[in-house]
Amino acid sequence: MRFIARYAKETLLGFEIITVYEDEIEKESISFKQPIIKTLAKKYPTAIWFERKMHDDFGIIIEDAFDKRPLVHQERFPKDIHPLRKNFNQDKLAYSDYLAYKYEEISGDGVFQVAVGPIHAGIIEPGHFQFSQAGEEILHLEVRHFYKNRGIEKMLEGKTLLEAKPIIERISGNESIAYQICWRDIVLQATKQELPLAIKKRHALLLELERTIHHLTDLGFIPNDGGFGAALAIGSKLAEDARRKMREFTGHRFGFGAIDFKNKFIDRVIFEKWLDELKNSIDFFEDWIMDIPSLWDRFDTTGVLSLRKALKYSTVGIVARASGVTQDRRNNKFYLDHGFIMASEVSGDVSARFKIRLQELKNSLVMMHNFLQEDKSLLELSNINDGEYQSFSESSIGELLMAIDIKDGVIERFYIRDPSFVNWQAVHLMMYHDIIADFPLINKSCDLSYAGNDL
Amino acid sequence: MIKFWYKRVRLGVLTENPELDKELAQIKKEIKEKVKKKFSGSLAIRMVDSGSCNACEAECNALANPYYDLERLGIYFVASPRHADVMLLSGVMTFNMTPHAKEAYAQIPEPKWVITLGDCPVMQAPFEKNYAIKAPAEEHLPITHHISGCPPSPLEIIQGLLEFLRKI
Ligand code: SF4
Repeated sequence: MRFIARYAKETLLGFEIITVYEDEIEKESISFKQPIIKTLAKKYPTAIWFERKMHDDFGIIIEDAFDKRPLVHQERFPKDIHPLRKNFNQDKLAYSDYLAYKYEEISGDGVFQVAVGPIHAGIIEPGHFQFSQAGEEILHLEVRHFYKNRGIEKMLEGKTLLEAKPIIERISGNESIAYQICWRDIVLQATKQELPLAIKKRHALLLELERTIHHLTDLGFIPNDGGFGAALAIGSKLAEDARRKMREFTGHRFGFGAIDFKNKFIDRVIFEKWLDELKNSIDFFEDWIMDIPSLWDRFDTTGVLSLRKALKYSTVGIVARASGVTQDRRNNKFYLDHGFIMASEVSGDVSARFKIRLQELKNSLVMMHNFLQEDKSLLELSNINDGEYQSFSESSIGELLMAIDIKDGVIERFYIRDPSFVNWQAVHLMMYHDIIADFPLINKSCDLSYAGNDL
Repeated sequence: MIKFWYKRVRLGVLTENPELDKELAQIKKEIKEKVKKKFSGSLAIRMVDSGSCNACEAECNALANPYYDLERLGIYFVASPRHADVMLLSGVMTFNMTPHAKEAYAQIPEPKWVITLGDCPVMQAPFEKNYAIKAPAEEHLPITHHISGCPPSPLEIIQGLLEFLRKI
């Protein structure tokens, strides 16, 4: 049974702990007086971040956890403050005394620590990586995040679904369409409405366009991190072309505000011509890059995640599929009817993650073609009903889960599990046979979101 | 590799994309001169993300693509604040990042400037002030210039940099 997420919410009498698995949801109630639960991390290692977050957010105690360090709250965060509690309403917090975080470290003769971040050398998001090194060889890596925590979950409480939309689409910029599609599905569940097929196709097209932009960017950046800059010139050029298409269709280069309940005109002839050109460019790119031995020397066997570990750590998306896990939220009738093919590789290394992107990119072009439909559908939204809702989508990184509780017409609890939240926890497993200079390459091959992870 | 060079020759230079018209050419020319005059040839920028949604970073990365090719103008993103003239600050200055952003600023040698990038650091993006957010940035750092947008497009970022160069 695949573990997907674990989160808490406050009820009148205490807390409810929700554990989401592939085909079932478990709920457990605990009281305010005894807010104690047992860890799941012994069976599902990635549960540990979910549980540490629960402690920071609500003060819930994980009795038998092997790791009780704070996760979201950092060195200067005031102790005993649990911001997701309903009785916490401050909008300003003062820094408290610096209390050092104890990193997972390996010690021994000649073993040393390398601390990287939170601010990195390139134009990337902040996060911390703590390496234990024996010379060049990586003995251990601890990934430490949540520098970007914006308190999104709390911020959205008390808002209507429509008011929350502009914030939801800005949680993780390069996955914006996927976030908006999760939001859309929750709106539809809450209004008990069906989406006209033509609008559904438009949204699916935009999601594939977002994936196209993201994959093209990575197909340039991954070789660039392996010292091969020419690929970046091509990849970033094609990504820019695709981004301009996004602006043409949605009025915004990242598609902010794009998912609504109206169909809009897309010029079929022009778009199909563009798709054909892009297909040619990608074929050229593939043909060329597959033939650069020094690059594949760098990619092959670097940053391996075995199938066993990929499953054990509940990984999703590109990372999972590159290790042989066939899991994709698009694996359903609607997508299969429009040409979806599950991408799959087995070697679990940087090469595999690169090739998965190529496969998916080519498949996205086919699907975009099939999703095109000229039509003027419109959906008038009816009233939003209170309730507990959940939706999934497949972002360009992987499976995204959104859960929203609505009470009295406004959001009572907002929860998101970005694919990055589980995948980040598997990144250290990829390092054990590699040297520290391979880290940027391995990290880029996963290209996870920091903003979506930190919330 | 032969195929690549063949394509390279056939494609020519992309940077003068007609879509971006003369305005960009004009800006680029101006920027080049200003950079030359004021920063003896190159302006070094240290990008600091203090809690963005990552779209602002993506647009800064796009500045390096062949359409914009910012480095050609003598403007570089550098790897350390100690190599920088300017800090380009994106994001809402989260509780957790603010001390690090300030530290990065302290590490930039004088003379130094801060430019805020995007609506986040000036609290114009849809995010609301809460316990985890320390923006607006002006409460923490001396801001010389602001480039608005959510996110500003690469062209707007180039324009913004030019305005900054005119200002100082
Ligand atoms: S200004 Fe807009 S695009 Fe930039 S980081 Fe903030 S929300 Fe994202």
